[in-house]
Amino acid sequence: MRDEALHPVAWTAWLVAAALPPLTTRNPLYLTLTLLVAGINFSVLGQGNATARGWASLVRFGATLWLLTIPFTMLTNHHGDIVLFTLPESWPVIGGPITLESLLYGLTGGLAIIGLLLIFSAFNLAVDQARLLRMAPAFAYQAGVVTAIAVAFVPQMASSWQDIREAQQVRGHRFHGLRDLLPLIMPLLVTALERAMQLAESMEARGFGGVTVAVSPRDRTITQTMLLAGLAGLGIGLGAIGFLPQQRALGVALTAAGVLLLMIGFWQQGRTVHRTTYRRWVWGRRDRMVLAIGVTSALIWLATWLMRGEWLFYYPYPPYSPWPTFHTVLGFAILMLAIPALLVQQQRQEVGALDPS
Amino acid sequence: MIRLERVTYAYPDQSPPTLAGFSATIEPGEFVLVVGPSGSGKSTFLRSLNGLVPHFYGGSWAGRAEVFGRDPLELAPRGMADLVGFVFQDPEAQFVVDTVEDELVFAMENFGITQGTMRKRLEEVLDQMAIAHLRSRRIGTLSGGEKQRVAIASVLALQPEVLVLDEPTSQLDPQAAEEVLVALRHLNEDLGLTIVLSEHRLERVLQYADRVLYIPGSGEQALLGDPRTIAAQLPWAPPLVELGKRMGWDPLPLTIKEGRVRVRELAGRRMGPALETGPIAETGPLSPPLIAARNVHYGYGSRPALQGVSLEVRPGEFVALMGRNGSGKSTLLRQMVGLLMPAEGQVTVAGRPTRDTPLGDIIRTVGYVPQDPAALLFNDTVAAELAFTRRGHGLPPAAEADARLLARLGLEDVADRDPRDLSVGQRQRVALASILVADPQVILLDEPTRGLDYEQKRALVALLTELTGEGRAVVMATHDVELVAAGADRVVLLAEGQVVVDGPAREVMSDSQVFASQINKLFRDPRYLVVDDVAVAVEP
Repeated sequence: MRDEALHPVAWTAWLVAAALPPLTTRNPLYLTLTLLVAGINFSVLGQGNATARGWASLVRFGATLWLLTIPFTMLTNHHGDIVLFTLPESWPVIGGPITLESLLYGLTGGLAIIGLLLIFSAFNLAVDQARLLRMAPAFAYQAGVVTAIAVAFVPQMASSWQDIREAQQVRGHRFHGLRDLLPLIMPLLVTALERAMQLAESMEARGFGGVTVAVSPRDRTITQTMLLAGLAGLGIGLGAIGFLPQQRALGVALTAAGVLLLMIGFWQQGRTVHRTTYRRWVWGRRDRMVLAIGVTSALIWLATWLMRGEWLFYYPYPPYSPWPTFHTVLGFAILMLAIPALLVQQQRQEVGALDPS
Repeated sequence: MIRLERVTYAYPDQSPPTLAGFSATIEPGEFVLVVGPSGSGKSTFLRSLNGLVPHFYGGSWAGRAEVFGRDPLELAPRGMADLVGFVFQDPEAQFVVDTVEDELVFAMENFGITQGTMRKRLEEVLDQMAIAHLRSRRIGTLSGGEKQRVAIASVLALQPEVLVLDEPTSQLDPQAAEEVLVALRHLNEDLGLTIVLSEHRLERVLQYADRVLYIPGSGEQALLGDPRTIAAQLPWAPPLVELGKRMGWDPLPLTIKEGRVRVRELAGRRMGPALETGPIAETGPLSPPLIAARNVHYGYGSRPALQGVSLEVRPGEFVALMGRNGSGKSTLLRQMVGLLMPAEGQVTVAGRPTRDTPLGDIIRTVGYVPQDPAALLFNDTVAAELAFTRRGHGLPPAAEADARLLARLGLEDVADRDPRDLSVGQRQRVALASILVADPQVILLDEPTRGLDYEQKRALVALLTELTGEGRAVVMATHDVELVAAGADRVVLLAEGQVVVDGPAREVMSDSQVFASQINKLFRDPRYLVVDDVAVAVEP
């Protein structure tokens, strides 16, 4: 199943491109379009994938929350010119005009979050997280392995939790209050700790940590300075974007410089750990296409955000118009993100044609 | 060559050293079996070979160790990983990543081996351990035997000189254990790999070993010698050796093949009538069943676990539930105590269907001891564990009765100790005590012998037999053939969620290749299952 998957880096580009609209605009037209595109990818990738149900239930959970917040927003926020109906003013909080604007506001708020959930779920269906973590560059390798272990720990914890709960149940343990948590938590902690110790021992015995290369103190100082400067650039740059909208170009430049410095610093640091990777991903035609699509879409979106920020602006309440604007080029940038789903479908058919089983 | 000289080691905060003045020399290419009671220092010795002791555990170390020219003390486990491959007891707990191929290259990646070499070695170890068909599987979907073979392959990838294994088969069913041992033997004989292996169930490994290292523990001197010599000196031994010792056979037989030669000689002598397989349980058919499962179906998601199981358990019965891992043993036990409800069919406990009975009522009749005592025990003292169960059952506190129960289980001295500080065998008994305190009529045990040595197993069987003598029923899921031969009077064999055989232990066990006890394999006669059967028959 995984062998027909596209390159994780290509999907990462897709993830970034698809996440940009929900992160930068509240315009319901773009958000709906993004939701649609994410949904197409999700349903194609979810075919025959056992974990799809779990992700689907997560999205459903998000959608339910969203639907619940809409009436709440409508009933409590009475701004706006287009009145749908009016509740008696004497009713506390909810009394007053119920407006189309607040309905739209409620709708758009949730759309972005649902969109992100769906995009993230689709990405997880497309990419094996453990492998993605292990593709991490050398400097992040240890962090990657630790995260991979933590991810693998969750299902193990869930199964010991089940065992412990059963064991205590048949001793007549009933759950009445917080104090009754102890018989469940204590064994869980002890087993988790024991397991962690065993794993640590096993990793130690297999030479984890690799062979490190000695570094001169001067090189180390340079690397650390670079990391610090990079972090500072990143922080100031992001701050400028957030708080000084008129200086956006400067902020972006600073952020970019910071990221660049960080990357160089980390790369330098990674060179001190001598290790190799086994897996070599092959870039096929489809992988390159997905990458190109992701990068193009992200660039269009970023350029618009930097130079034509007003195109993305949307706020339903007066003095602004509740009717969203629409620019074809942006619609195009979102729609092209549906193409990977078609590629995956096409690839499956080819694999299926080769191998009838 | 591996050489330990006058090694004395104590774990942190422990006064008597685990190894005291310990010396041993192992030649290259040897297959050495390490035996000894629980807690005697077997694991400590094994861990000293790659520096996990003292580097990972701390503690105080004196003496010299040398493994193929390297000093584990100086190099630490990292520096020894490409020389000493270490395989742990629990197949679950030693995997780092989640697919077989990634797991196999993990150690090589850490050592910065080039991609080309990695590819070559990966293919080699896949073939050596015969796991090529598993390469793209997820670790979680493998069986226990497959997991253990993957674990061995993953340390072999670094091409070590020595393979050290700490009870690698103790959590496997007999077939899976056999797979692993056969693979080890192949590595030892065809590749000349030095193998140091610790194991409780000697009957499985004794025949493969070139030499046996016996660590008696409690400060006594360790013995290293050829299997026959050491086996004769062990205070406990596999049934075949035990029989050989009692009959005065010399040289001692170590394999069934060798034993059968002796049996043919015996055939000349007149064997007595032995035990007549009389009525198994006189009370059996008369009394109503305590637990009755009728046509029970159950599945996890789309995977069926039980498919039409019917089983009745009556007072005084000692039932052994056997079968491969995943054959439905644990699921059936959970059904019997009402933790799971049948999807189809029904289970009744004391005549009441579990579906309509609250769990609180079921557990008055049925006690369930889970596989891992750690899931159960959480209090600061053993006595508090018992008191907790009493409260859970709504029983009044009864310190005196608790003390009597503990005394009966040989736990009177540890009543005020923390259960987590006790030995494996003691912890198992504390778990049993904390179930028995509610006075259940049926006791269900899931794999109670994991990590127990011969002595502890013998004690467990004696205790369970005593309980059935009081009219209680015992149902025990286990892989341990010798344990079943020694205690159970009925065997239920499960496969693919169905009951394949259900009958008296004597009949089932002598009619099987896999589930026959050693003595039975020797005589091929349902009258002889354990050493005592033969002894009774031979003595005039």
